[in-house]
Amino acid sequence: MNQADISKIVSKLRIKVPPEHRRLRGPQGPEGRLNKLRKTVTGLIKYERIELNYRRGDEARQYAERLISEAISHGDCHKPTMEIADYWLLEKQLVHKLFKVLVPRYENYNTAFTKMYKAPQTYYGRNIDKAVLELRGNPYPSLTNKQSNNRLLLQNVLLDAAKYDYRQAKYAEMADKMSKTEELQTKLDNNPESKPSESS
Amino acid sequence: MSIVIRKSTIDILCAAKWIARRDCRALSSVPEKVDIGEEVKEKVPGHKPRAHNPLLEYRHVYPEFLPDPNPKWRNSLREKMERADMLKRRSQIDIPEFYVGSIVAVTISDPHAQGKTNRFVGICIDRKGSGLRAEFILRNVIDHQGVEVRYELYDPTIQLIQVLRLEKRLDDKLYYLRDALPEYCTFPLDMDPEILPEGTPVPLNPVQVKLKPRPWLERWERQELKGVSNIEEHLKEKDRVRRELRKTPWEKYDLMKQYRKTIPAEDQSEIWNEVYNQLQQMRVSRKKMSRKRTFATPKTQLA
Repeated sequence: MNQADISKIVSKLRIKVPPEHRRLRGPQGPEGRLNKLRKTVTGLIKYERIELNYRRGDEARQYAERLISEAISHGDCHKPTMEIADYWLLEKQLVHKLFKVLVPRYENYNTAFTKMYKAPQTYYGRNIDKAVLELRGNPYPSLTNKQSNNRLLLQNVLLDAAKYDYRQAKYAEMADKMSKTEELQTKLDNNPESKPSESS
Repeated sequence: MSIVIRKSTIDILCAAKWIARRDCRALSSVPEKVDIGEEVKEKVPGHKPRAHNPLLEYRHVYPEFLPDPNPKWRNSLREKMERADMLKRRSQIDIPEFYVGSIVAVTISDPHAQGKTNRFVGICIDRKGSGLRAEFILRNVIDHQGVEVRYELYDPTIQLIQVLRLEKRLDDKLYYLRDALPEYCTFPLDMDPEILPEGTPVPLNPVQVKLKPRPWLERWERQELKGVSNIEEHLKEKDRVRRELRKTPWEKYDLMKQYRKTIPAEDQSEIWNEVYNQLQQMRVSRKKMSRKRTFATPKTQLA
């Protein structure tokens, strides 16, 4: 049973956060783990799309999202945030990029700031999952080729034509119905007129 | 030496102003506060860092309403029901605002005591737990014997919790009082409550406690305690060396460790929105009751 820490306020991350951290084993231990993640986060902010192992990418993704959300919620002039950014970004012009470029870009986002894709494994026989980690809104062309709404593809051409034909058939039906009802109306109008004339 | 960067189009378009200044500041470690402030004013005059919900201040007064941050032990239904039960209990008895370092008197019902009640006075050294299992530990030295009692805040056998002195200390946990000189933990059992004028902020007691000579119960020198004055006197060279080796300066930059220990602001706001109305009403009605003058019928003396 633990009581939640109330000394700091953090914003909720919009990615799935596993309950425990991955250890990323190495000769330097926990300090080495943070050093590796520092390099990865610096690379992500610098290049905006990087290819790496899945485990390190997932950890770095969490830290990158936290860094960006701290920068957004506290802004430029907050000393602790500047120290955190100074620690995490090994190239100091990236601190400027974080506060001047990324914060305005992500201020009004409702989704996560990063996206991770799974990449094909490069070495046959070695089960090392690879991933591509990118910042949203990056200037490169998209990695997914989502063509389902492309009107020029054959299936969409055929579907559009089918929809058009169906709609035309429906309009024709409705027009027939309307004309029939009009005829009936005119007949009813004519008949009572003729009847009184006959009777009289 | 200039640093070559692969510049993307967005950088070039947006960052024209700071590119000119970049070369002179590329080698500095942390940009100066004054320059950044000027730039912010130039670029986006209306930009302010996000202001948080003012209800979040309730987390200091009622920390047990926040759930356990470990996701393996979270259950939203149980937490909602617990909060409802906590509010019900608070409507029965006044559980006052107190912090670690305040002196509190607790009266519990005890079937084996004379008068069926038992009163203990002590300084709160710790508050832990969440929900209905929230606890606090009171410490006092009685007849030269240190005594600690752990009470649950929402225990139905508690009849009265009275705050005799409301104050905060420099540390979150005061377990070092176990190794401190007894004068720092002795409080008279018939102490009178010290009433603070309404609206004053909770006072911070900056007292620095003196520890007894070693052996101690824990390695206080490794714990970054602000409320202890004379740790260095009791240390040997070996302790100082080992303390340096055991330090973990990277931990304060570990963003995910902090995140996993806290409840995020959005979730906290939901909880406080649910609960603050009733808590506020209870506070107000209790203040009114305390100010109300009760009419006592005068006892007639038979001639």
